[in-house]
Amino acid sequence: MSKKPDWLEGIFPAVVTSFNEDDKINEKAYREILHFMLPHVNGIVSCGTTGEFIYLSREEKLRVLEITLEECRGTCPVIMGTAYPSTWETFEFTKEVKDTGADAALVAAPYFMQPTFNEVYEHYERLNEIGIPLILYNIPQCTGTHFRWWTAEGLAKLENVVAIKDTSGDMPFLEAMLEKVRGEVAILVGHDEIVTAALGAGVDGAILSSGNIIPDIWQEIYQAVTSGDLEKARKLQAQNQKLVRIVARTGATQAAKEGLRMMGYDAGDSRKPIMRGGAFGREDYEEVRSHLVSLGKIPKKKVKFDLGSGKSFTVEYPAVEETPDRIGDFTLKTGEAFSGPPFHEVAHIDLMIGLKGGPVHRAVEKAMARPDETSKPRLVSESPMLMVVPTVTIRTEKQESHLFGDATEGVLQAVQDAIAVGELPEELVSEIVIVANVFVHPGAAIRFRIKFNNYKAMRAAIRRTLESRPTLEELKGDSEAFRHPFRYAP
Amino acid sequence: MPAKLEWLKGIFPPLVTAFHKDESIDAEGIRTLVRYVNDHVDGFVTSGTTGEFPYMTTEENKRVLETVIDESKGKKPVIAGASAPATKQVIEMARKAKQAGASAVLVTTPYFLHPSPKGCYQHFYELTRAVDIPVIMYNIPQTVGAFLPVDVIEDLSEIPNIVGLKDTSGNLAYTLKVLEKVEGRIDVLVGNDEIAVPSLLSGCSGAILMSANVFPELWKKAYRAVVTGKVQEAMEVQRSVQKVVRIFGGNGAGLAIKAALKMVGMNVGTARRPLRIGGSLLPEVMAEIQLELEKLGKVKPPAANFRYPSADLRSRFVDIGISAEIVNRERLRTGTGTAGADAEKVQVDLVSGSKKGEIGAVYAEQCTYPRHGYEALTTILEPNLMIRPSTLIVPFVALKNLRQANMVYGPGQAAVGKAILDGITSGKIHQKSMEDEAMLVSLTVHPRALNHHTMYRNVYKAMSKAITAAYS
Repeated sequence: MSKKPDWLEGIFPAVVTSFNEDDKINEKAYREILHFMLPHVNGIVSCGTTGEFIYLSREEKLRVLEITLEECRGTCPVIMGTAYPSTWETFEFTKEVKDTGADAALVAAPYFMQPTFNEVYEHYERLNEIGIPLILYNIPQCTGTHFRWWTAEGLAKLENVVAIKDTSGDMPFLEAMLEKVRGEVAILVGHDEIVTAALGAGVDGAILSSGNIIPDIWQEIYQAVTSGDLEKARKLQAQNQKLVRIVARTGATQAAKEGLRMMGYDAGDSRKPIMRGGAFGREDYEEVRSHLVSLGKIPKKKVKFDLGSGKSFTVEYPAVEETPDRIGDFTLKTGEAFSGPPFHEVAHIDLMIGLKGGPVHRAVEKAMARPDETSKPRLVSESPMLMVVPTVTIRTEKQESHLFGDATEGVLQAVQDAIAVGELPEELVSEIVIVANVFVHPGAAIRFRIKFNNYKAMRAAIRRTLESRPTLEELKGDSEAFRHPFRYAP
Repeated sequence: MPAKLEWLKGIFPPLVTAFHKDESIDAEGIRTLVRYVNDHVDGFVTSGTTGEFPYMTTEENKRVLETVIDESKGKKPVIAGASAPATKQVIEMARKAKQAGASAVLVTTPYFLHPSPKGCYQHFYELTRAVDIPVIMYNIPQTVGAFLPVDVIEDLSEIPNIVGLKDTSGNLAYTLKVLEKVEGRIDVLVGNDEIAVPSLLSGCSGAILMSANVFPELWKKAYRAVVTGKVQEAMEVQRSVQKVVRIFGGNGAGLAIKAALKMVGMNVGTARRPLRIGGSLLPEVMAEIQLELEKLGKVKPPAANFRYPSADLRSRFVDIGISAEIVNRERLRTGTGTAGADAEKVQVDLVSGSKKGEIGAVYAEQCTYPRHGYEALTTILEPNLMIRPSTLIVPFVALKNLRQANMVYGPGQAAVGKAILDGITSGKIHQKSMEDEAMLVSLTVHPRALNHHTMYRNVYKAMSKAITAAYS
């Protein structure tokens, strides 16, 4: 007997809960974010893991639900996260959620105390009495308990259980679900990295944290699969895999919010202890930004470049909140970026950009005039004029080919791409000299990684140098918690 | 009831296997090592994990074993490593070990394909049926991928030829569970250097410790202290080697031990491939090992030709192109500060000013003029979080190795960055200078500064003083 509601298929973003700077719910921004997504999705999930249900009070969650219902009424169904560690609290809250009008409750396994599977079963058996459609939610990364297939199979028989959402990323588990309960309840994938694989295997839909950022692409993938164009779906998934991997593996909440912020939505930050530059690191931030720029999702704004030499021009620049309206004085601009993993192939770039005829240019000329030796900096490009300097003295031929071969290739590619997307304005190219101090660890081995990490670091370093980042605010936010990797004894 | 072995107690080094450059066995190297440790140990282990057993043939295991027995003239027991994934292979190895005169065999939990607890039991059971030699089971989940189940050990401990368990897991709760379950029927030996003394105090009868290749006398001292009830003394030994044994364990084990042996004057070659220096063991980590061995008195420290800068502050930046005259002409800010004493003393000299002036020129020049030992680096709080005003740290004394470099660019850099940020937040450094100015910092640290934590604290203090002087 199928208990699967007709509406429970397709793409459901697990919407972030936006906060103001004073950590209160930003209702206006939340509504805007909903409207950004609504054209592309089949329903909304509020107060899921990405919605930070665990950091919200009961009152706050109910308010979020009310807003969501107001905005979605008549448009699409609303699923509400209702989990607590205890049965009594989950029961009470789920009941309130039912009375408020949610279409279904998404209930993560009781967490923290690690009850046995029998106790988990009885937990849901109790919730079953409420009468609201229940979606079982397997997310062992957070709850610490992984549903066993026989528990999930047994639970699927309960009258009001209408679906299971599996975020484990455990494909064999998902296949067991498809084997046991497909057609009886909806099976939803919650792990962004395996959406196409899961849809191809026969799941009914997806609840996704990256659905905050690319709901349109997920809908396209879903449509492709349901219309039988698997190749298209695979291609789209692969093109966005890096973005969704970062979002899925860095705690989802801050990642989704920063992605939204880059696109111009005021999602605010996650509540503490999640912080900027924490689990979703600054390196991840830069990667997401590079990706969204290439998707054309970062809005452009007019930025005036005042070179300091008397010249100035205004360009359409793919800007984020921190991008200044005016980028000034090119006497000596500096920036830095680091990119890994793995450990041995990390890239660390110190960047200088300066005017032709200025101190950076003079330093480059002096460097070129010095006698030849292996560690001598090299001019690797004429336009823009770009010098690569080894940060650590080169001692072997292998190091030399890593640095002036692989790493330099990555640096050059980054410059080309930055020009192509408008992050390094064409008008600037003939005016400046760029110096990249490049670090390659003597133990590095994987050539492609050296190149690629240097590519990523260079893209980030260019943006930071032009935008004078980190800003004082960014530095202040990290003034106590910063963790320098070499600060500690082995 | 099994007969316990009278001799199975005390300190047993799992000998590294000496190799020539072409990776062939270096028998003379093995003999030299046996002589080096002999006076301090109660027996030897050959072809253990530290001896790189997975990289050796059964024939080679036998040859190493014979060499060690011959060199020790049969006076001390020799335990032969006999580990392999398949039971049949282990039986064959144990047979060869017995023929060669081993006193016992050391056998890991069967690895790679994960046998059930039943399979593990059967593995050891069949070995004892096939070869009449005492067997020491070997729990090393770090490499096997699984713990030897305690229930299996409990049952195996009833078999007469099962005489002991070596536990390398480092999980003291597991060790104590085994000790409780086997009720004295077999001996338990600790195989994890990081918890050697706590394990001996908890009832282990001996220790098979990789670092006993390098400093067997220290472990002998600790063992004697434990058996005579001098807990404090035993823990002092443990504390003194804690950092270096952690480094050994986390950086290639046998590979690191071999590097350490070389430092104390024993050439036993390096590990077989794929392990290599620069891979599992990095040069900067070797430098850390070297310093720890100096601290333990195992290696004589080189004479330090070293002094802190003492010229007039305005003339201290001449080497990087800023003369006193420039300082005066451009009204550059200068400041200095010191903190700490002896090898932990640090000195900071800073000069800063507008990017448009000489500071900007020198900053750019330093960045484009890498010289070995004087690499200038942009100051960051952590990667991807550069401090502003842009600040270059230039070491005053040449940095001789990556470890020293790590001291300057790790705790040193973090502390300089933090002091600057606090300078800005407190208003000492004007916010406008974040964009308009640059800073050059000459950081002098002692080449043998040991403590990262103290380094951070001292550099922070010294840098804060220098900032106060420069910006008031």
